[in-house]
Amino acid sequence: MLSTLIRRELLDNLMTFRFIATVVIMLLLVVANTFVLINDYDQRLEGYNAAVNANHERMQERTTYSSVSISWDVVRPPNLLSIFNVGLDKRLSNEIFVHHGFVPTLWDGQVHGSTNPLLNLFSSIDIVFIFEVVLSLMALIFAYDALAGERERGTLRLVLTHPVSRAKILLAKYISAMMCLLVPLLMSFLLVVILLTTSPIVSLKVDDFLRIGGIVLSSIAYLSIFYLIGLLISVITRRTSTALMLAMFVWGFLVLVYPNVILVLITSAESSQERLVPAFNQIEQIWEEFDRERKDYLANDPIPGEDSHLGVAGGSGFDEIWHKAKSTLLYTYLAISYVNKLDDEFEPRVPHVQNYYRTIVPKTIDAAERAWLVRKQALESVFFRPAIVDRIFLRFSPVGMYDAATQAWAGTDLFGLRDFYEATRKYRRTLIDYLYDKNAFGDRKWFSSDKGAVDWDSSPQFSFQRSDVHVNAKRALPDLLLMLMMNLILFWGIFFVFHRSEV
Amino acid sequence: MIWHITKRELYDNLNSLRFALTTVLLFVLMLINAVIHVQEHPERMQKYHDATTASVSALRSRTDLFSIAQEGPGNLYKKPSPLYFCAEGGDIFLPDYAYGISRVQIANNLRAFWSLYYPGAFPNIFNVRPDTVKVDWGFVIGYVLSLITILFTFDSISGERERGTLRLMLSNSVPRHTVLIGKFLGALVSISVPFTFAILMNLSVISVSSDVHLGADVWIRLVIIFIIAILYLCLFIALGLLVSSSVQNSVTSLVILLLTWCVFVIFIPSTFASIASGFSSPMAYDEYFKRRNQNIKELKEEYVALLQETRGFPDKKIQIDSEYLAKGTEQEERLSQEQLTQQIAQIQLARSVTRISPVTLMQHLLEVFVGTGFERHQQFLDNVQRYAREYREFVTDMDRADPNSRHIIGVREGMSQKPVNPESIPAFEDEISLSRDFNAAAIDLFLLILFFVVLMSGTYLRFICVEV
Repeated sequence: MLSTLIRRELLDNLMTFRFIATVVIMLLLVVANTFVLINDYDQRLEGYNAAVNANHERMQERTTYSSVSISWDVVRPPNLLSIFNVGLDKRLSNEIFVHHGFVPTLWDGQVHGSTNPLLNLFSSIDIVFIFEVVLSLMALIFAYDALAGERERGTLRLVLTHPVSRAKILLAKYISAMMCLLVPLLMSFLLVVILLTTSPIVSLKVDDFLRIGGIVLSSIAYLSIFYLIGLLISVITRRTSTALMLAMFVWGFLVLVYPNVILVLITSAESSQERLVPAFNQIEQIWEEFDRERKDYLANDPIPGEDSHLGVAGGSGFDEIWHKAKSTLLYTYLAISYVNKLDDEFEPRVPHVQNYYRTIVPKTIDAAERAWLVRKQALESVFFRPAIVDRIFLRFSPVGMYDAATQAWAGTDLFGLRDFYEATRKYRRTLIDYLYDKNAFGDRKWFSSDKGAVDWDSSPQFSFQRSDVHVNAKRALPDLLLMLMMNLILFWGIFFVFHRSEV
Repeated sequence: MIWHITKRELYDNLNSLRFALTTVLLFVLMLINAVIHVQEHPERMQKYHDATTASVSALRSRTDLFSIAQEGPGNLYKKPSPLYFCAEGGDIFLPDYAYGISRVQIANNLRAFWSLYYPGAFPNIFNVRPDTVKVDWGFVIGYVLSLITILFTFDSISGERERGTLRLMLSNSVPRHTVLIGKFLGALVSISVPFTFAILMNLSVISVSSDVHLGADVWIRLVIIFIIAILYLCLFIALGLLVSSSVQNSVTSLVILLLTWCVFVIFIPSTFASIASGFSSPMAYDEYFKRRNQNIKELKEEYVALLQETRGFPDKKIQIDSEYLAKGTEQEERLSQEQLTQQIAQIQLARSVTRISPVTLMQHLLEVFVGTGFERHQQFLDNVQRYAREYREFVTDMDRADPNSRHIIGVREGMSQKPVNPESIPAFEDEISLSRDFNAAAIDLFLLILFFVVLMSGTYLRFICVEV
């Protein structure tokens, strides 16, 4: 009986104009945008490669340990799956410099390879956005007259005169509609994957296919939610025209209005700058203490004066920079020297300089690490936590859940990007270990290249491995479960109303 | 007779669910918009005010002509629009200042004069909050109102045909175009009534608050914006009637309309912009710095070579100093100008291509009359460049007015030594003029009207020949 019902529904739906029109439009949109997005990814990849090469070249030019320590620039590769959901991938900084005197965070990066910042004026779209808009609309158009229409035509009464349970009717409607709706969805994904695999610049790995599978799964759950919302509207209204209006307004509210309005409403009035002040003062204290120790050392060592470079080479080839930024709690001390010729008269001073750096550089590292503890906490509470709260509020609309789930699968969500900054911090640790191993701080090459330049070939290279699929899955799971739960609740609600309603 | 049909449409609509939902939705959105503007605007104005005061006082603290000529005017800020709530226009992605400072060191004691630089705005590098569209009038009109219009018109003819009332109506002695116009007016009035009230509520909230002041010319702009909104509304009503009269049943009509709406309103603006911006690639920042360093290096080498020859002739050295300084300044300014021109050309191409979508046209128009967005940014850049000329002229005039000066601009000894009255230094004034805005808006306005006329005549022809 169930199969008869499903067949009937399926034939009803598949033959309609609305079905064919939506499929065609959807596929057109997907194909056009996939080309645009692949092209965009290609450009970003080019920019990434250029930046990596430029950094490599710049590093080769550095001749002393201390000068190279400011140009260990680390570049974030573009995420291929940002084609599906761009998330924060294009937006956040993609280049960051790693230095022993400061622990890098998301707030210290820069943007490389940007040709035109004004291009941000145009909003960018991704595949998931197309689904968000078109699929949900389609699901509602399929659902609004599923019950109200049959009731109006009187066929519902006819069907119910047969010995069919109401649950079966609902199930038949749900299954057949979902089968119809899955056609454009799966076709679109298939097209995207085909375009991706045929494109010469893209290479998809097994993991990527699993992630895409996760995105497909989330899309199905999202589609189902909107179909059930439509069905619920169809059950509670008597007339199709009312059902249609209600469905369209619900769509407009959930997709168009709510996600844009809610964030404006929950923005906290308190300025983030003020909340950073105490942390900044603490960090300043740490560095001032460091500076005092440094100056004490200079005052007490056998060379007169407080010149940080101890007078070697008369002060040229030496830079001393204090980086401070209150808005991001950046505070660091960089001392670089790149002397390439040392006069004989300075030769007696060299051991003192070596001693100085041997003592001071570890102290810099230590101060940086202590400042990081303070900084981490402050940045988390001022910037990170509100962003998490925003996302919680967004989840009241299915669009928010879907967006969050697909971002997590693609690895373009907040946590996926945080992985990169975590990796840069790890890289900093390995570099410091490397410098310790080489005994670089006390080395003559730390400040001077007159007796040979530093060889960089053996230095550790940065490579960023994206998190494994199971990590992506773990991050996407809450949203996926939320969507499933919403599906169940909606289904149960529809069943409840339908069971008690008069035909 | 027209009025009769309009009235009937109106009564039909006023009692419907969609009218109630529309009213609630529009009022809520407009209220949110007003409250946020009232909260944010004073802050924005304060920030602008503080910044300009600081930069003007820095400028006025100089008294000798040489440092005025060398250091330049400093930061020049864009004046925020009082109508920010109407169209935000992507203003956060546009830099709100340009600066004229002296940066290039040609030799140890020779620094080039100031030149104009155009910074880029990267507001999102540190922003981990989710992306949203600003809820301004542009959003409400462009997206929400157009969707509502579709929901009001999709069944206005096809629905009547389904029910058979269209045949009934046309059996009376009413010409068809009267029916069409009546339907058009009916839809227009029933949507514009809640819209107008929502706007009035929004404006009254904003103007009642003591922190925001709306001047007389601002009200003129508001009226223009309202007219544009109505025109945009008419376009979508015409579209709705066209589809509704050519399709047999109203569900098909709705599906077509919604898909058209999605494609034209949501997808075309961004997809076409991405495609169009792929055609040109402006100078990247890396390349800019590379060329800049190359230029400076060449200049330095030339200068050093020439300097050897002038040893012992101090007068000649001054001449060469002045000449190279002017060269350095000019090439610096030319390079940043070149980069800016390329960037603007790219954006302009993308903007012209997206004009195929009515929502972009409407947003362009709104931005122009509000004084935000790209068009306004260009106006700001023009103002900056005009001011830069004025400033340079001021320096030469001051120098010329002094009979004791040797009139060699660029070298301290060659310029007037008289102290300059700080009040007489020109300060940057960022102005916008309504007449210029009309010029900028002409194309968009023309296209919007053209779209409307085409759609309306299409609807007319369609409805005249259609069988009932």
